[in-house]
Amino acid sequence: MIRVEHLNKSFGTFQVLKDISVEYEPGKCNMIIGKSGSGKTVLLKNIMGLMQPDSGEIWYGDRALSSMDYHERQQQRRNVGVLFQGSAIFDFATVLDNVMFPMEFFTDWSRAQKIERARFCLDRVEVTGVEDRYPAELSGGMQKRVGIARAIALNPSFLFCDEPNSGLDPHTSILIDQLISELTSEYNMTTIINTHDMNSILDIGDRIGFIDGGRMVWQGSKDDILETDCPELKEFLRSNTLIRNIIG
Amino acid sequence: MCRIPASQAVRMVRCFMIKNFFESVGRYCLFLKMVFRKPEKWRIFWRQFVMEADKLVLSSILIVAVISVFIGGVLVIQTASNMSNPMLDRMYVGYMVRESLVLEFCSTMVALLLAGKMGSNIASEIGSMRISEQIDAMDMMGVNSAGFLVLPKILSSVLLSPFLMLLSMALGILGGYLVVEMTEIIPTAKYISGLRYSFNGFYIFYSCFKMSLFCFFISSISAFNGYYARGGSLGVGYSSTKSIVTASILILMFDLIVTQLMLY
Repeated sequence: MIRVEHLNKSFGTFQVLKDISVEYEPGKCNMIIGKSGSGKTVLLKNIMGLMQPDSGEIWYGDRALSSMDYHERQQQRRNVGVLFQGSAIFDFATVLDNVMFPMEFFTDWSRAQKIERARFCLDRVEVTGVEDRYPAELSGGMQKRVGIARAIALNPSFLFCDEPNSGLDPHTSILIDQLISELTSEYNMTTIINTHDMNSILDIGDRIGFIDGGRMVWQGSKDDILETDCPELKEFLRSNTLIRNIIG
Repeated sequence: MCRIPASQAVRMVRCFMIKNFFESVGRYCLFLKMVFRKPEKWRIFWRQFVMEADKLVLSSILIVAVISVFIGGVLVIQTASNMSNPMLDRMYVGYMVRESLVLEFCSTMVALLLAGKMGSNIASEIGSMRISEQIDAMDMMGVNSAGFLVLPKILSSVLLSPFLMLLSMALGILGGYLVVEMTEIIPTAKYISGLRYSFNGFYIFYSCFKMSLFCFFISSISAFNGYYARGGSLGVGYSSTKSIVTASILILMFDLIVTQLMLY
């Protein structure tokens, strides 16, 4: 479980996050939604520990992120898988080496065991026959899948996805969403997805937090999002034609 | 509209530049602290070390060889044409060419060349990894990204660049010899006896030390600028340019300092 308590973050005089408090449960797809520039990515980066909050606390289970020293934080991160917006798979390595990368550092497995595990992860995300290719030779959807395979390589307890569907066609987006949802329940991971894709929200959003102007103004699930009374969220939902027809 | 007096504006700009300078120096020191942490796995470190040695040093052999041969040749012609006084023994042409190559050209000139080649390579490689979030991905895995990416680059360039410089010295002298042979600007025997005249082995050590120091600046500053690159491809280009300029200035500055410290 991840718990965020009274988180504030500013860049210069501009306050991006204002008193955010939220809890993310394991085995569920927790979503952070909101307009561009609302502070979603900043919140996710604070949770991941890539940014330092001005005030507030982030708890991984019963450990506060701010109380961890460098080594503890590095140790904690080995339990985390991340899918970045642009996949962030390494240009210098082949698909197989990308998935084996975390294993090289944090396991004492033999090369055969690493290859076996990497192939298993690639099979799990339905990427086969491209193990020896470099990232530049893959499509955007393939790169995302390889990114997911690398993220789950060490069976993490936490999975963070920053706009997993950006730049993908609707069909591939659905496949990626389903994959993330399946892996979340399969490995009982605490998954946090940062998105503004309405299809993803309605498809796999077990728990949704809507950010507007740096504040978490609404929290709920995909089942009650369409019945919301929150005016900011309603306005956000209306930007999708199909939903506009449903909620009026 | 509120107007700021020119003198106050100049003062503000100066303060900003000074603050910026000290901030950068501080960040550079913290960056080096991250880089010099113990590698997570030595096996991976050595593999990277060999790869970087190939990419940064071995791949520079050709360009270093070409400029060294030409510099040696040019030095012979220039020195000979400036020593037309019959009172001066022609042997001194060989002596001066050797001293120029050993003391200055093969370390400083080659370092300036490497600042362009190696510096832009490192800054753009690490910079593009930064903007495509590959460094964030590494950090999120719990890998010390600065150590993994930068330490092998620094160590391979610092440890292996003196060999590049020794090669440059040999080829520079060879270049001079070829010019002497082809143009007969001075007798070959005089050139060779000049090369062997009053040789001081310490100068080789001094040049090797300078070269290693310069390569430390080139690799660490380029890596630092790439590591903190921001703003897309423009940011990568800017970090690359900044690396070359900063490294070149530091090379010339420390050339003076080291020469003063070691030779006087």
